[in-house]
Amino acid sequence: MTTGATPTIEVSDVSRWYGNVVAVNDITFAIDPGITGLLGPNGAGKSTLLHMLGGFLRPSSGEVRILGTPTWRNVRLYEHVGIVQERESVYDALTGYDFVLLSARLHRLPDPAEATRRAIERVQMGPAQGRRTGGYSKGMKQRIKIAAAIVHDPRILLLDEPFNGTDPAQRLQMMDMLRAMAAEGRTILFSSHILEEVERLAERVLVVVAGRLAASGDFRAIRRLMTDRPHTFAVASTNNRALASALVADDSVTGVALDAGQLTVRTDDFDRFTVHAPRIARAAGVTITGVEALDESLESVFEYLVAR
Amino acid sequence: MIRLIFTLTLGQLIRQRRALLLALLAAIPIAIALLFRFASDQADDRLPEFVAGAMDSFIVAIGLPLTALILGTAALGQEFEDGTAFYLFSKPIGRWQIVVGKLLAAWLACGVFVVIAVLGTGAPLVGQPDEDGLVLAFVVATVAGALAYSALFIALSIRFNRALVIGLAYVFVWEGLVSNYVEGVRFFSLRAYTRGIADALTDAPVEVFEARLDGPTAAILAAVMVLITAAYAIRRLNRYEFSERV
Repeated sequence: MTTGATPTIEVSDVSRWYGNVVAVNDITFAIDPGITGLLGPNGAGKSTLLHMLGGFLRPSSGEVRILGTPTWRNVRLYEHVGIVQERESVYDALTGYDFVLLSARLHRLPDPAEATRRAIERVQMGPAQGRRTGGYSKGMKQRIKIAAAIVHDPRILLLDEPFNGTDPAQRLQMMDMLRAMAAEGRTILFSSHILEEVERLAERVLVVVAGRLAASGDFRAIRRLMTDRPHTFAVASTNNRALASALVADDSVTGVALDAGQLTVRTDDFDRFTVHAPRIARAAGVTITGVEALDESLESVFEYLVAR
Repeated sequence: MIRLIFTLTLGQLIRQRRALLLALLAAIPIAIALLFRFASDQADDRLPEFVAGAMDSFIVAIGLPLTALILGTAALGQEFEDGTAFYLFSKPIGRWQIVVGKLLAAWLACGVFVVIAVLGTGAPLVGQPDEDGLVLAFVVATVAGALAYSALFIALSIRFNRALVIGLAYVFVWEGLVSNYVEGVRFFSLRAYTRGIADALTDAPVEVFEARLDGPTAAILAAVMVLITAAYAIRRLNRYEFSERV
């Protein structure tokens, strides 16, 4: 995922455990400018990884570097890095403007008021900036947190589940903003457990499952890998027995099971199966009345990637 | 930077409900002293002894440590609880600046409440010939005690999730029982230091007020305790792993 020179973010053989529990298991990757998605189910270790990248957590082994320097106990790091935490918490008693201004002043910016104005404008929170953050909706809190994280114009932005609680319009606006920031040469790493979010925004993806890096690289390649994996469908038709015997002859079908009249079909060629199955049924004089994917949950996709 | 953290923390500490609770704590000795004043003769010669007793028992022994406990553990501990500490941790500022800013805010807030309590409790005595500098002595001593207690409780809040419970145990079990009755450990009590400083600054006779530690020893030990606990808090915060409580 790197172009050769020192990558912006380097994670080398990093593990993190809490007692006997391994949260992150021997992960290595490097990230260059652009948008990278950190994808994985809840509890996969994404937040632990982001905490280590943000310098909040010490790796049990291995090394995490940003701009060539270790992140742990390195407060100078935050001059170049903006971080958005997953937790919703903000200083409830402050207005949105004061919250972002506080961030600007904590960064010792030469013109905190101007930096605050720019950051709030970027997340389009101008109309609500005078209200207390305690009264904000989840989506508004996310946006004001992002404003506070980008107020010092960081080269690197780390976001933990940034789209949580946002409505579709807010999500689109935030995605546009992040794309614009990436186009300016920044490195943006965001975590999500929702495939579609990563698909729409990330150029590259890191898939983390059970603390391990299950896949990494160009999103299209990962997506292909996810699509080309074996799929299992429950098929309902006017004559399941006839349909089963017709389907089993097709190359795209790797297994057919008829259990108490219920037909289950397994395929390792998703595209071919979806095209051929209706034709095969028609040729056999059977009408398909329903098709249900049995293993389409994100968890099962992740399990496949790990087991690969 | 310290001033910014100080101002932010002060605003968070003096929230409505907490301020109300602390005001109530400060009002108890004032009410007791006033009741005594109105219930006794104008020239009651037991007044200095009673006022000194009220300041010692209700402010030094209870009001001061509880106020400092509530404010000291909230100054940083509450930010860990609600996740807002993240906004300080993710900035290019030294951890020592966070500790100093928080300590100054907790000290000032605690100092204001205890000084009000001392002045209110000592009010019936002001202007009396046998006042003997009692009120001023307790003002100085409780302000010094507020600093020592605040530093201790901030350090506890960084180290323990249940700093409030541990702080209560320290105040009521260690200071209230152990160090009060076990001669060998009297040097390890912030209450004893506060009383020692007060004793050194007043001319009141021993039957009115007397501490077990002499003034200079108490002041030195209190200063040492502030340095040790603040240094520990900074050291601990430097190594603090943010997701310890997240």
